[in-house]
Amino acid sequence: MEPYERHWRSGGRQARLWAYAALVLLLFTVAAPLGLAWAQEAPAGSATEYRDILPGILGSRNLIWIIAQQHLLLAGFVLGVPIFAWVCEIVGVRTRDPRYDTLAKEFTKLLTSAYATTALFGGILLFLLLGLYPKLMVYLTDVFFPSFIVYSVLFLLETATLYLYWYGWDSMQGAKKGLHLFLGFLLNVFAFFIMIVPNSWATFQASPVVITEGSMWAKAWAATWNPTWWPVNVHRLIANVVLGGFICGAYAGLKYLMTQNQAERVHYDWMGYVGNFIGVFGMLPLPFAGYWLMREIYQYNQQMGITLMGGFLSWLFILQAILIGILFLGANYYFWLGIMYRIPGSEAKYRKPIMTMLVILLVCLGVWMTPHSLVASLEEARKMGGTHHPLLGVFGVMSAKMTVVNVMILVTFMSFVMYWRAGKQETATWAKAAKIGQGVILGVATIVVVVLGVWGYFVPAITRINYFSTTQVLVVLFVLLTITPLTALVLKSAKTTTEMVWGIMPPRAAYALVLNAVMVILLMTLMGYARSSSRVHWHVYGVMQDTSPYAYSPALGYAAAFMSLNTFLFCLMVAFIFWVASLGGEKKEGTSGKAHVKEAVKPAVAGAPVPAAGRR
Amino acid sequence: MTEVQLLQTIGLSVLGLGGAILLFVKARFVRVVAFVSIVLGGFTLVALSIPQMASLPPAVEKFDVTSIQDKKELASIGQKIFFGKAQCALCHTIGTGEGRCPDLKGVGAKLTRGFLYESLTQPQAYIYKDYEHVGQPKFFPAKMPYINKKPIALSNNEILAVIAFLQNMSGEEVTIELSEIEAPGPASTARKGEL
Amino acid sequence: MRGSSLAMKGAVLLVAVFVVFKFVAPLVTAPLPMSLIWLYLFLTTVGIVVYGTLSSESTEALLGPIFRFLGGDGLNGVAKFARLAVLVLVPLLVGGQTYSELVPSSQPPAENRTIHPAPPGEFVGLTNPVPNTPENVMMGKGLFAAFCSPCHGPKFNGNGPASDGFNPPPANFVDPGTIAQLQESYLFWRIKKGGVGLNVEGHPWKSAMPRWEVELPDDWIWKIIMAEYAGSGQKPGTWE
Repeated sequence: MEPYERHWRSGGRQARLWAYAALVLLLFTVAAPLGLAWAQEAPAGSATEYRDILPGILGSRNLIWIIAQQHLLLAGFVLGVPIFAWVCEIVGVRTRDPRYDTLAKEFTKLLTSAYATTALFGGILLFLLLGLYPKLMVYLTDVFFPSFIVYSVLFLLETATLYLYWYGWDSMQGAKKGLHLFLGFLLNVFAFFIMIVPNSWATFQASPVVITEGSMWAKAWAATWNPTWWPVNVHRLIANVVLGGFICGAYAGLKYLMTQNQAERVHYDWMGYVGNFIGVFGMLPLPFAGYWLMREIYQYNQQMGITLMGGFLSWLFILQAILIGILFLGANYYFWLGIMYRIPGSEAKYRKPIMTMLVILLVCLGVWMTPHSLVASLEEARKMGGTHHPLLGVFGVMSAKMTVVNVMILVTFMSFVMYWRAGKQETATWAKAAKIGQGVILGVATIVVVVLGVWGYFVPAITRINYFSTTQVLVVLFVLLTITPLTALVLKSAKTTTEMVWGIMPPRAAYALVLNAVMVILLMTLMGYARSSSRVHWHVYGVMQDTSPYAYSPALGYAAAFMSLNTFLFCLMVAFIFWVASLGGEKKEGTSGKAHVKEAVKPAVAGAPVPAAGRR
Repeated sequence: MTEVQLLQTIGLSVLGLGGAILLFVKARFVRVVAFVSIVLGGFTLVALSIPQMASLPPAVEKFDVTSIQDKKELASIGQKIFFGKAQCALCHTIGTGEGRCPDLKGVGAKLTRGFLYESLTQPQAYIYKDYEHVGQPKFFPAKMPYINKKPIALSNNEILAVIAFLQNMSGEEVTIELSEIEAPGPASTARKGEL
Repeated sequence: MRGSSLAMKGAVLLVAVFVVFKFVAPLVTAPLPMSLIWLYLFLTTVGIVVYGTLSSESTEALLGPIFRFLGGDGLNGVAKFARLAVLVLVPLLVGGQTYSELVPSSQPPAENRTIHPAPPGEFVGLTNPVPNTPENVMMGKGLFAAFCSPCHGPKFNGNGPASDGFNPPPANFVDPGTIAQLQESYLFWRIKKGGVGLNVEGHPWKSAMPRWEVELPDDWIWKIIMAEYAGSGQKPGTWE
């Protein structure tokens, strides 16, 4: 409280002022061209349907693209971080390990600054949409006005809760911790609703349902409850956790690279591990959620499904496979580096299994990345008799892709379990039986997944989609849900033979963390483009056509350049936010230098800039 | 230089610049930025190496009543309206089943023209026994909207074209006469009672 | 000693992968397009780097020889010359690649044609209105023989007398990858609108399929569709 307030008065406020000044400046740079566009009004009489901004150079669609993407990524971060900040807090209370509480607080601090920026971009986006796409906005307002109100109210609640959660962190330690945890829970509940309300607008655009007469609220509710609403909600919720986790990892990686202080290195090494762990665990069920979404899209409208998977956007999914593949490899690589470096003397024991896993992963990736319609020169195509390869063409269809994704998830999970068990010696009498049981579960699961995958070629698509793929998913989930508690039980009584050594990871581990974060952000931008262009030339699919000059969907290369730009901007912005948030703490560190030395044994705390106050 | 080549040049320059920074610059943050740039540049180059294809919106088609030659053409215009402006296919399927609302296979043969017209303009007036919904409530409940009122608001001509399509796809003779269509404006002669 | 062997092993593995996909695979099946071979080589490289950089010793074993070679310390004789050659050749290769990318050529660009693009909305929800009776199928087969078999072949296998003239070749309906994957409504669209009716990702300029709507009434087309499934021994697909 008191120490904290002092900190806020000194460095924090100044930093915040700077931050807001910079953001206002940014707003002006956006507003200036907007004025330019408004100067050229449409002729009086007819209602304006579209306005443009700097056509030929930027264009209204591209501007919306950038702003909406930044808003969405920030929002993903802002909604993902409280989930795992809260989980970390709970873990901290349960294990009485102060590192977790510190970590949770460190991230909530980032949250407060990111929250304002998210809202800012939301505001800019809204103004731009109103200005540039009045036709669409009038229609959507007509349908959704009640949910706009709900959204605003939710925002008030979320903001209040966030302030209480953050500013009450230190005063609610000890006896009031339960209340604080409850606040964290509320924060997440509001955050979830804040996410699903706009999701209903976006999913209505992709999969509208018929709107009949009725009260304003009935209409809005009918439109909200559309076929892809819940799949998108679930998919985005999980993806936000993944995003939060990997950004946490990248932040730790960057800090790890930049610090010279060994105690801080230990802390950030550990933080990177936690971030990567959360990211990977979120990532494991993500393909299932994506599969569900895809299924709903097909059921809603086959044409849209074909556009996505087999038509105009089919190559996008090869790019997605490349990105996810790199993400899987990156996450596993980080686990493996952790085994090699943090557990001395483990190289000889683990090199072989790692190699096996690596080879399986690469083979799976090879299958996944092999497209159905290949890029081939005229001569090559002639030799193949079309753009489908007679042999490798079998890798191009869903049956193969679903199978290898499931196998990759299993391998990644095993990688994690291996890391978990490394350096420990089971003492329980039944440990051996448990180990054999796990081996059997895993082996049988892999065989079932592969057999179903091959069998899938010989049954009608509907059987495959409804029964085979679902079974594959359930089998993998079963493995995840049995082996995790089993391992936890076995390890409860295990004795540690080799203590993990933190803070000696090589720089490439930190780069791997950064790479993973970039991959996740890039994936979100890529799939955002997929979601948006699966509607092709419709604002609201099948209902309201896009008649602006930007109704076309750009080619993948052009889009990829935009995705990269958006990713880069977002990374820079997040770095800026983190930097601003750290400004307040720096002075403190100077004064509490002594505390550092004293705490060096408990390295976690020393690394965090602010929480000295929290630990009285 | 084409757009693709321009973007490729930019991507390659980013790669080169990033590589140079990694080789010669020691500052850690700058190096990480360079690393991220290289990753993004590489991604863009991969995406650019695929044959590029934009998806263009189809040419806008106008329903021009004066140009209709025969009933077949009327039916095919009705088909476009059915799957487009009228949004029928948001709920109804034709023979594929499992839609959100009654399947319309053979509906043009099963129902008279007058009944079809009434179903579109007075959807709640008479609900066919077969279509009465029993059992579990539907996941996406919907009531048939008035097709001649907002928000869909088909004109009388368009409704007739849709009926022509329904009859045609059920293998029935189209009973909509072209003379009915050519009567322009909302004061059409085709009224419910007269059908 | 182990050092040089890891870098060496990696190089050998890369070459082996290339040889297998480029020269061995064509012995068994159709040759792979270069785009695919590059992809597999890329994956192999990633694998080698990941495996090689797992520990500091293996990193040294993998990258050490490469860095030492490029750095040029203590090299002499052939190695020294090889290093110079590499330093000269790499920029030349990049330049040559750029040149060959930009120089105008008579070769058509590589393509990725989507064979089964999304049909327009008005064709998605249709079902065959013609009842599936032996007479109808019979009549469909007759129509098929008259209009379709010159290209698609009397045996429905895409091997008609006129098929040799076309690239891409006419669809082979016996192949489980064609009409067995598609629904009747999809075939109805393809037959009715023909090659010119394809969307841009289907490369309408590549297909010689006539636009049959100008010649055949709808119910004939539906009968032909039934005949194609019956004659090729396939069943219409459900949605994929």
